[in-house]
Order: sequence, then structure tokens, then C-alpha cells
Amino acid sequence: MNYILWAVIIFFTIIIQGSVSLFDVTPNFTAVLAYYLGVKRGKINGMFFGSFIGIVEDSLSYTFLGPNLLSKGMIGYLSSLISSKLFIWTPVLGIISISILTITDSFIVFVSRSVFDIMPVSIGVAVFIILIQSLLNAPLGIFIKPDEK
Amino acid sequence: MPKKRLLILLFIIISIGLMTYQSGREHISPFQFLSNTINRFHELKNSIKNFVTSPFKTLLLREEENKRLKAELSGLLKEQQKFIEAIQENKRLKELLSLKEREHRYVTAARIIAKSIDPWSNAVILDKGTKDGVAKDMVAITDKGLAGKISSVSYSYSYLLPLTDINFSAGTRLRDSRTEGIISGTGFRKCKLKYIHYEEDVKKGDVVITSGLDLLFPPGIPIGYVSKVDKKGVGIFQDIEVIPFVNNTWTEFVMIIKRE
Repeated sequence: MNYILWAVIIFFTIIIQGSVSLFDVTPNFTAVLAYYLGVKRGKINGMFFGSFIGIVEDSLSYTFLGPNLLSKGMIGYLSSLISSKLFIWTPVLGIISISILTITDSFIVFVSRSVFDIMPVSIGVAVFIILIQSLLNAPLGIFIKPDEK
Repeated sequence: MPKKRLLILLFIIISIGLMTYQSGREHISPFQFLSNTINRFHELKNSIKNFVTSPFKTLLLREEENKRLKAELSGLLKEQQKFIEAIQENKRLKELLSLKEREHRYVTAARIIAKSIDPWSNAVILDKGTKDGVAKDMVAITDKGLAGKISSVSYSYSYLLPLTDINFSAGTRLRDSRTEGIISGTGFRKCKLKYIHYEEDVKKGDVVITSGLDLLFPPGIPIGYVSKVDKKGVGIFQDIEVIPFVNNTWTEFVMIIKRE
């Protein structure tokens, strides 16, 4: 039941992601989902669910399989690592960590596509897109906090 | 090396391997079948969005045209309003004139110029006073019936106490059954018909007229009609509500008459 719920959440997150934009930049809400799963479920689960989200996203984006698989899996792993090992959670650190991980996610995707396929956009545009996505995701860091031990 | 780190390393290697494998080959897309479903959802979402936003878009397009038409219309309406006012005033004056011709006790016609300053009173101010022959306790009527009585008077103005005012009362009778009673204001739009014995047969719609027995109001002036009859109350009298024929909110002119 829980898996079905998560499948539905992923489905609607992808739909919402495709429906909104800021300065013609599509947000990266799936990275938030991977971040959330990593923070809440731990490193391995975060990586597993993150890569699943990545596979779905890669499949639906009509490009080759891998960039989002790698980036989302990494986000799931790193978010758990950051929240559990590196700091005591506060809203500001939540914002900073989600911003950095969004940048990391988008950077991995951009580099992977540039290396294994073709560069999707120029570097300047890529920086702009990554920053906007990071800004859009940043406020959500306030609400996603690790469970108290 | 801990298992978790080994796993992440393995994960990275597999991912990079997968991407390398696809490089220059056909892409693997295991969940591409979902794209149709997602696109249907997008289509559905867009149709809902269009359904919601299209009226607003149409409104925006028509806004400019509306502004122009409104400007033209407001000019025409101003002109029309002037004509309507003139027609209505003409009608009211004609009614008063015919009433004056019928009414031999005529003193003067007066215009209601304001409501009383007292917020608890229903009294209104008339533009006629002693200089026009108006005196205290004279009766104000319209073509529809009794409007009230003059409660106080100055040289140029007078106060009309409408029959809905709490301080108003008059001797009355039911037009058909000739049953006598006293009508009083309630402070709102209705009046109370008092002192009607519970054995008397009073029906909704019965017309109430002045009886003349109070030596203040001439007999036979229509007051209103019975809107509610309640015989269940305690006591020997019925609880009767009367809606006056004259509504002061809509009245602009009244005719002042003397008793004889």
C-alpha cells in the first residue's frame, strides 16, 4: 500500500513538474522527493527510491537511461548522509542542504548528458537553470527535517 | 570498506556503465509506457485549465469594448434618467392633483425632504409649515391611504409621524366586518391592530380603515391590510399584524388634510 502511495506521489510530482515554470525553467521537484526519501528513510532506501524516481524520469524524458538514475540515487544517499552525520538540523541548514543537493542533482544530469550524449544547453544557460531550480526548491528545505532519534 | 560505501560505489559504476552502454546506441526506456498516461493527465489538466480560464480570457478581450460601450451608455443613461425623473414626478403630481380635487379637506401638498435626526424615530420632515396652513395633529395621506399625522410644526417645516412609528395610534375599523380597534406602530414596517376580541372573525387580507372615533383622523381613510392573525395568545384580544398601504420609504409627496 505504501509503495502504491509513493508511486502515485511520484506520478503527480512529475505531472506538477511538467506543469509549472519560472522564467521558462522547469522546477526539479523530483530531486526534493529523493531528498525527502533520503532524509526520512536512510541512505540505502534513499538511494534505492531515488534511483527508481530517476529511472522513471529518464524514461519519461525520452533521453537515455542513467543521468537522473545516477543523480537522484546520489541525492537520496547524500541527503541521508548530510542530515544524519554532518549537522544538527535547523531550518536554515535545511534550506542550504536542499539547495546544494538540487545543484548537485542538476549538475550530475548536465555533466552526464554532456559526456555520454550531447550538451543539452550552453554552460551559461545551464548555470541559470540550476540556480533557478535550486531557488525554487530551497523553501521546501524548511519543511523536510529528519525524524528525531 | 563499509557495505554502504561499497554499494554507492557499485551504484555509480553501474550508472556510468549503463550510460556508456547506451552511448551511440538505442536508448533504454523501461517506463516509457507511462508517458501516455502522463500525457493524458496533462491533456486533462489543460482541458480543465482551459475550461476555467477561457471565460476570463474572453472577459479580458471584451474589456476594452466594454469600456467604450460603457462610456457611451453612461452618457445615454444620464439623459434617460432625466426623462424618467420628469415622468415620475409628473405622475406623482397628477395623483396628488386628482386627490386634491376629490378631497375637500385639503390643506396643502408637501414633499418629504428628510428623515428625522433621531435614529430611533420613523418621523420624516416635510417642506411645509405654519406659513402653508399646516398645524399639529393634521392628517397626512397619499393616494394609497393614510401616511401619518403631523407631530410638530414650525414656520416652514413640519414633522410627520408615520403610522409605523411606535408613538403612532389611531382608531380603526375593519372595512367589511366593521369591527373596531386601535392601530399602533411597531417601529418597523408593520403595525399592530389592538383590542380586537378573540371571538371576532378577522381574516388575512381584511382591509383596515380609520374609524373617526378618535376625533383626530377622518373616517374611511384606508390604512392597510391584515397580514397575520394570531388567536392563540394569552388574553381576550387577538394579535393582529397590519401592513400599511403607504410605505414611507417610497413616498415622496403627501397631502395634508384637516379633520373637517
